Amino acid sequence: MTVPQRTSPRIVLVHTITFKQARALAPALVPLAAATGIGGGRWTLVTAVVGVTLVSLGTAVLSWWRFSYVDAPGAVVVTRGLVTRSERTVPKDRIRGVEVEAPPLHRVFGLVRLRVDAAAGAVAGKDEELLIDGLPRAEGERLRGAVLTSRVRAPAPDDAAPAEPAEPAEPAEPAEPAEEEFARFDSRWLLYAPLVGGYLAVPLAGVGALFRLAQELPRDVVPDLVGVRTDDARVIAAALLVALLLLVAGAVVGAAVVNWRFRLVRRGGSLIAVRGLLTRLHTELEVDRIRGVALAEGAGMRLVRAARVTALVTGLGDAQRRGQLLPLGPRAEAWSLTRRLVPDPGPLVPHPPAARRRRLVRAVSAGAGVTVVGAVVTAAFGWWPVLVVGVVLTALGVPLGLGRYAALGHATGPRSFAVRSGWLVREQAVLERRAVVGWQVRQSVFQRRAGVATVTACVGAGRGGYAAVDMAAGDVAGFAEAASEPWAATFRAAS
Amino acid sequence: MTTAPPPVREPAWSLPRSAIGLWVVESVIDVLFVGLGVGALLIFAPDDGGPFPVLRWVVPLVAVLYAAVAIGVRPWFKHRVYRWEVTGDAVYTRTGWATQTWTLVPISRIQTVDVTRGLLQQVFGLATVAVLTASSQGTVRIWHLEHGMAQRVADDLATRAERVRDAAT
Repeated sequence: MTVPQRTSPRIVLVHTITFKQARALAPALVPLAAATGIGGGRWTLVTAVVGVTLVSLGTAVLSWWRFSYVDAPGAVVVTRGLVTRSERTVPKDRIRGVEVEAPPLHRVFGLVRLRVDAAAGAVAGKDEELLIDGLPRAEGERLRGAVLTSRVRAPAPDDAAPAEPAEPAEPAEPAEPAEEEFARFDSRWLLYAPLVGGYLAVPLAGVGALFRLAQELPRDVVPDLVGVRTDDARVIAAALLVALLLLVAGAVVGAAVVNWRFRLVRRGGSLIAVRGLLTRLHTELEVDRIRGVALAEGAGMRLVRAARVTALVTGLGDAQRRGQLLPLGPRAEAWSLTRRLVPDPGPLVPHPPAARRRRLVRAVSAGAGVTVVGAVVTAAFGWWPVLVVGVVLTALGVPLGLGRYAALGHATGPRSFAVRSGWLVREQAVLERRAVVGWQVRQSVFQRRAGVATVTACVGAGRGGYAAVDMAAGDVAGFAEAASEPWAATFRAAS
Repeated sequence: MTTAPPPVREPAWSLPRSAIGLWVVESVIDVLFVGLGVGALLIFAPDDGGPFPVLRWVVPLVAVLYAAVAIGVRPWFKHRVYRWEVTGDAVYTRTGWATQTWTLVPISRIQTVDVTRGLLQQVFGLATVAVLTASSQGTVRIWHLEHGMAQRVADDLATRAERVRDAAT
């Protein structure tokens, strides 16, 4: 199909209701309204509402009318713009992934939004993606299939034959091969949410918004809280308990909204993740571009043996969100998923005792500094709280340092390798050998004395580099050679 | 400080001697700014009260020591640390001085090669070759090569990268 096509006219209604385009005009209209002086009264209000809606309708119609897309054989072309026309051509072999989104209002009108990710080279910014808003659902599915399958690409070499034809959940796509389910969200996993920092932030943000609202409300609306006795311990305890329960409930609800009915399936050469309660998010990743997997366990998650899995995909914008393979789940599940995608490099090798000494010194030094200052202050002025804080911090530094050392490790297998570090969020990256696009070895004066070095595998995916901190200096060359391709022998041999 | 052997071997080639001149000039400029700061302290800081009497002689002393190291020692030390090498299949460098960094990038994963010449570099006829890969952290810079040499290295790397480019970034 090479004729320019418009999106569904129904999108005009969606955009009118949400004031999508008209929102941009609001900063100009508000001062105007203030200047002309709205005297109140019902008619002024009605006129204003009707006027704004009409403006919104008009802009929505204009932008729908000026927007078109072409699904040409080799590329997708999107033309848009009211006055300044912009035409963006994305060659299909540069497309890294397609995401189909269905926000609630879109679903009412049977529409979807298609996000085409076409990152190129080292920088992946927002400009690299293509957004086609307002396709009928069937056309969205068709376009997604057309964009992804028209690329000439051999099917991924994987011994696992496509398993039983799974439930016919997604409509259409008769030509696609059967799908194989990799992971399915168990609602019980939502109970992990209160122990994950990201989900706890959701209710906290809600509380912040509530406080701001309370401040802006007129005084007489806010209930008078002055009468409440705050010196009663029971009142404070009850308030804290309620706040804690709300926090936990908010985290669970937040996790449910984002991850509702999460499912990860493999269909042909793609991994497809579907999730979300209000907005159904449909993310597609090419198995061929997956270079590895990062398995993250926060300090709280480790208590309940939970983990999060993210795919490390080359040239994927917004990788942290889109690469999610298992947003939240038991560690065993996370590991079996990891092993299905990347060969297991075997158990981790711990780092030398010098690394443990360095972790301890670092973790304790801040507390030690405060202790010294505290001792001086105590001696000079007899003011002791700083000293106590310093001693407590120093004492807490010991388990922190030991924990940080315990997280360190690396492993090499025949086709893959792994590095692990971090305490607050312990992250283990398991990468294919071919993923490495360079090595960086760093050694400070102190590391040189301790006979250790930090080795970073530079990877064109994920964070860009994954480090093995404080590895024994003698192991560096061997590790690099075992974890990447033959060129890494440069570290060892003279040319 | 002859404790442990380095973790990996050193690259084969050193930089031209003129790089030392460049580093000396950079340090002199650096020290001038430090001197301005110290001068401001001596002029504007009060003579008495708090820690100022101590600072008035500690800060200049530290500044003089820094100047001696930065101008008299560091450029020669850096010249011993900074090394580079282009082998059959990789670009290999060592940089830094207190903290040293070895970077190795295979030619098959090179995406772009840039040659840049800063203002001071032009005075000394030097240039930097930057080799970029798909990873934001996998950039290798060969500092302060003679300009003609830098250009030849960049051209050579670009053509060889074109020939052996690996689709798998």
